[in-house]
This record gives sequence, C-alpha cells and structure tokens, in this order.
Amino acid sequence: MPKHVAAPTLIRNRIALAALFSAICFSIIAARLIEVMVMGAGVPANRVASLVHPMRADLVDRSGVLIARDLPVSDLYATPATFWDTDEAAHQLAQATGADESLLKRGFAAKRGYVLVQRALTPDRREAVMHLGLPGLVFEEGYKRYYPSGRIVAHAVGQVDTDDHGVSGLELGLEARLRGERDIAPVQLSFDMRVQYVLEHEIEEAARAFRTKAAGGIVLNVRTGEVLALASMPDYEPNARKLEPGDSIRNRMTQDVYELGSIFKIFAFTEAIEEHTITLDEPFEVGKPYKLGHYYIHDFERLGPTLPASMVFAESSNIGTAQIEMRSGPLKQKPFLKKLGLLDPLKTELPEVASPLYPRHWEVVEAATIGYGHGISVNPLGFVAAAATVINGGTSIRPTFLKHEEVQQGERIISEETSRAMRQLMRLVVTDGTGKLADVPGYDVGGKTGTAEKAENGSYAHHLLISSFCGIFPIDDPQYLVFIMLDEPHGNKQTGGFATGGATAAPAVGRVIAKVAPLLGVRRNDTFAAANP
Amino acid sequence: MIRTLNFAFVAITSLACLGVYRTAEQARVDQGALKATQAAIVRENNMLAVLGAEWARITQPARIQALTQRHLDLSDSPTVELSSLSQLPAKELPLTAEGEIRNAKAVIPQNAVPRQALPAVEPQPTPAQSTDATLAAFHTGT
Repeated sequence: MPKHVAAPTLIRNRIALAALFSAICFSIIAARLIEVMVMGAGVPANRVASLVHPMRADLVDRSGVLIARDLPVSDLYATPATFWDTDEAAHQLAQATGADESLLKRGFAAKRGYVLVQRALTPDRREAVMHLGLPGLVFEEGYKRYYPSGRIVAHAVGQVDTDDHGVSGLELGLEARLRGERDIAPVQLSFDMRVQYVLEHEIEEAARAFRTKAAGGIVLNVRTGEVLALASMPDYEPNARKLEPGDSIRNRMTQDVYELGSIFKIFAFTEAIEEHTITLDEPFEVGKPYKLGHYYIHDFERLGPTLPASMVFAESSNIGTAQIEMRSGPLKQKPFLKKLGLLDPLKTELPEVASPLYPRHWEVVEAATIGYGHGISVNPLGFVAAAATVINGGTSIRPTFLKHEEVQQGERIISEETSRAMRQLMRLVVTDGTGKLADVPGYDVGGKTGTAEKAENGSYAHHLLISSFCGIFPIDDPQYLVFIMLDEPHGNKQTGGFATGGATAAPAVGRVIAKVAPLLGVRRNDTFAAANP
Repeated sequence: MIRTLNFAFVAITSLACLGVYRTAEQARVDQGALKATQAAIVRENNMLAVLGAEWARITQPARIQALTQRHLDLSDSPTVELSSLSQLPAKELPLTAEGEIRNAKAVIPQNAVPRQALPAVEPQPTPAQSTDATLAAFHTGT
C-alpha cells in the first residue's frame, strides 16, 4: 500500500507557525536569562539614588575641620489610640525624647489622630524610643543642619531653614554648590578655625574690658584675598531656633556701614604719595585748627606747631591730613576711592553686604573730612579689601570665603613704590605713633589706628566712638591683615579713661598677631632672634 | 515529527519556566539582601557623620581651652616660637658611617666611649613688657 502523505492542512500550518513563534519567544527569554545569569543585570541606578537622602554638602575649614554638616534625625509621631495607658506612654516617651511630659499627656488625652512627640531626634534617642516597645509610633526621617562650633563663625556661615535651604551667610551664598543630587563633596572654606577662635576670644575679651555695644574683626590674607577669620559680636547660637537675650544675627563686618575715622587716612596718604603731591619729610602746620569754609578741623590733642608728613600719619593729625587731601581735591579723590572699590558694593560669596554711603555732592569740605574718615561709611570687609590692596604691592583683591591659595592677580591700582612707602608709614605708626600697643616683638607689625565719633541727632557725639585698628604683619613682606573694630567702647583704668583705637583695638590686634603668627607659619625676624638667644 | 517537536518545545518551556522562576526567586532574595546592605551602608554613613560632628564639637578650641583652664594648671599665654631656624645647631655627622654599619661586629671595642648627649635647646623666654613700659608706650590719639 503506497504511503499516503497528507498535504499540510490549514490547521497544521497554524500549529507550525505557533510553534515557531513560541520557539522565537522562548529563545529570546532564554538568551536574556543567560545574559542576566552570566553578565548580571545590575541594580537600576534610580533605585540606589532613591535610598540616599538629598543632603547639603559639609562645610569645612581650610584644614578640613568640620564647620557644618547635615545629620540624620527623625521626627516622632504617635497615635494615642493604640496606647493602653496614655499617661504611662507620655511619661516613657518624655523620658526617652526629652519632650514635655505634660504637653504629651494633654495631646494623648484625646486618643485620636497623630500627635507630634518630638522633632529632630538623634539616632541614640531614636534607639531609646525603639527600646520602649510602644505601638503606634511613626518616625519621619529627615536631616538637620548641625554646626559643631556653635557661636564661633556663626555669622559668616549663616543658617538654613527647616527645609534645609540656606537663608543667610555662606549657607545662602553657596546654595548652588551645597545642594546636589548625591555624593556632594565638602565645600572647603577659607576659614582657619584656630585663627577664628583666637580672633573671637580676643574680641570677646576686649568687648568685656571696654563694655562695648558691639565689636568685630577680620583676618585676611592680603595676597590671596582669603578671609581666615571673621567675627561679629554679639553673636548667636546657630543650632538653636531661638535667639537668646542679647544675641544678634547681624553681621557687623559686612551688613553695617561705619564712618571708620582716622583709619581712612591710609587712603588719603596713598593717594598723595601716588600722585606725588607730598614728600614724607615735608612739614605741615598742625598747631591750630584748620579752617575750611565755615568749618574748623581739630586734632584729638595738640601735636605741636609742625609735623613732617610721615608723623602727620603716625600721630594721626586731622589738620595735617586735611591739608594733604586738599592738594588732590575732590575731583581726584572720588575716582581714586572708586578704584579701590570703596564706593561700590563688595562682591563676595556672602550675600549680606551693605553698600557704602557717601555724599552726593562731593565738594572741598567733603574731600577734607573723607580724608580722615568722616563723611563716608563703608562696611569693614570693604575697608579691609581696600587696605589690603594698598599694602600688598598695589594690586586689587576680592575677599573670598573659599579656599583659594593662589595669589590673586588683580588690577594694579597703585605702584609698588607707593605700596612700600605706605608700609613704612604704617610701621611708623606702631613704632612711633598712635599704635604702639599693637607691636609684637619679632613680627614687625604695621598698622593704623582709627577713632571715629558716631553721628547722633544730626551731629557727632564725642562720647560715642567707633575705635578700630588695622594691623599688618610682617610689614616688609605683608601676608596677613588683622582688623578689629569696637563699637562704643568705654575707657577703663588701664587706658587712663581713653577709648581710642590706639588704647582699645590696637592691643587686641597685637594679642591676636602674637597668637596666630606662629600658627600661620610666620617666623619672627632675625633681629629678634639675635637679641633673644 | 510534530510530536517530537512538541515534546521538545514543552520540555524547553518547562525548563525555561523553571529557570525563570529560579532567577526571579534569586533576584528577589538578592534584592532583599541588597536593600539590607544599602540600609546598613546608609546607617553606617549616618553614624560616621554623627561621630564626625561629635568629634568636631569636642575638639573645638574653645572647649579645649575651657577644659584646660578647669583641670590643668596652665595659663592663657600667647603661642611663642622657642627658637628660629637660624639658631638651630648645625646638622651633626651621622652616628655611624654607612661602611661602619656594613662592617659592624658584634664585639664592642674596649675603648668605646658613650656618645655625649647633645645639649637640649632651652625654650626662649618671651621678652616681658612691664606694665609701666606698656603704659608709657600708650599714646592717646586717633
């Protein structure tokens, strides 16, 4: 019987097609399985990312010392309906978390809804709560910004709000750098916490000794523009949500502007030397008040019939300085101060920077008073930047709060020769002038004192002073500038009742230099070493 | 033929199902382990962060100074350099030349003299400025 081969029917064709389709599908699945088993599929990146809370980057000082960090905390909520004994639960939770027991008892009494037990629980307190074994507790995870140094450097660093967004200081100024998706590297600031502590300590001592209304100080690297320390008193505790009585969040070194007084003579003399309108040994009459229009310009004390220009600076004569400033006049003075950046808002990472105040009509009288620091108000950081420009060789610098060890190559504002002459004059202030108490043997400190009278009810009050000192060391190769300002200091027995910059701020600057110079690697000069074997 | 193929496909399908199940189960277990590991990493990182902050708090100069003043008999005096580099003594010759080390013997020579101890560098006192001198240096002015 011949073998009958049936022709493929429609059903058989469909079965074959289905089989082929299945074979292809399973081949794909098998290939994928082999790939997963052999090669490994890996964990999707988004899953890893979702486990990491978006945090702010750490803030550290120039040596890596921690200044600010987000720490994990938990907010604890309770559902009182689940408690057998609400009073006992309130007692246990209050002991474990530090919450107010009576508040908890009142909240739990209703036995309904959610009750906030405590915010920002640290991991150890959370662990203590877990050990209670109470039902109906809910932890809400979060992060809280913590400042280990507390009040130290609080003004410059600033604060964040409850959503971890910067609201002041560098926390706000560096917001874009500090907030990232994940793996954010620490942001290294220019601060040196050792120097910061010394500055704060000395300012606090001076503020106490002279019963000041406020005080502040800055330590600046005059080559790189790095702010090594910035202090403002009164300060505040950044880890607390409330200010204590007497605390202030106002950064007096950047947010306030002051008429700084004679310390401003630095710029009058810089201008005169740069424009060759004086020679340093040229005598000036300082024996009687200098009449300018309807006004008379006086000195703090009688300094003799004449003084050479160098001693006009060293003894801080307003009469002599006004005469010197008149040689340049308002038409040259205003552009010169503008070149130094004293008439424009300072550009830096700190957002809270006040704009300078100066007269709209800048005439002869204004030029004379501005020459000795009255009639123009600047914030201390702006002043410090301009002073650094004068003494660092003559190139402008922009103060920075980020670590930046390279020397700033700013625009040349004055010549090297003028800068050198100004350094000599500032050394003279400390050796023979009003700033003798700032001297530190072996460190060749230079500087300038300032004592400004504050304006009150439309005139200057003799008893309300802004006393300051701007010190530079070492003067032959200046590296650091230390500025301290005391707002309304009162003289004491040690100062003979005087509250001038030379009596109050200058010794404080000297103590700061004596303490920080070895820390900063500045060596005593060889003359000192030879004299003290 | 069809029967054989069907049998083969069913077998392959069954094997694939088993493979898929095994892989899925393994993935589930691994995912759990991965989550646990990641949670442990986060926990450890958090603990590191807390400890780092705690370290920064307890080592801050203000706290050290307060503790020092409370517990130690030290005064708050300025940091001083004990000496300058130019005053350091010249570098001494090495204790033994390289050749001597190489040819050293275990027997100590009879005439060996103990090396004289170098004089210690004494701290340089800070030049004290008397109160009178300080007041005399004080100059009133602006």
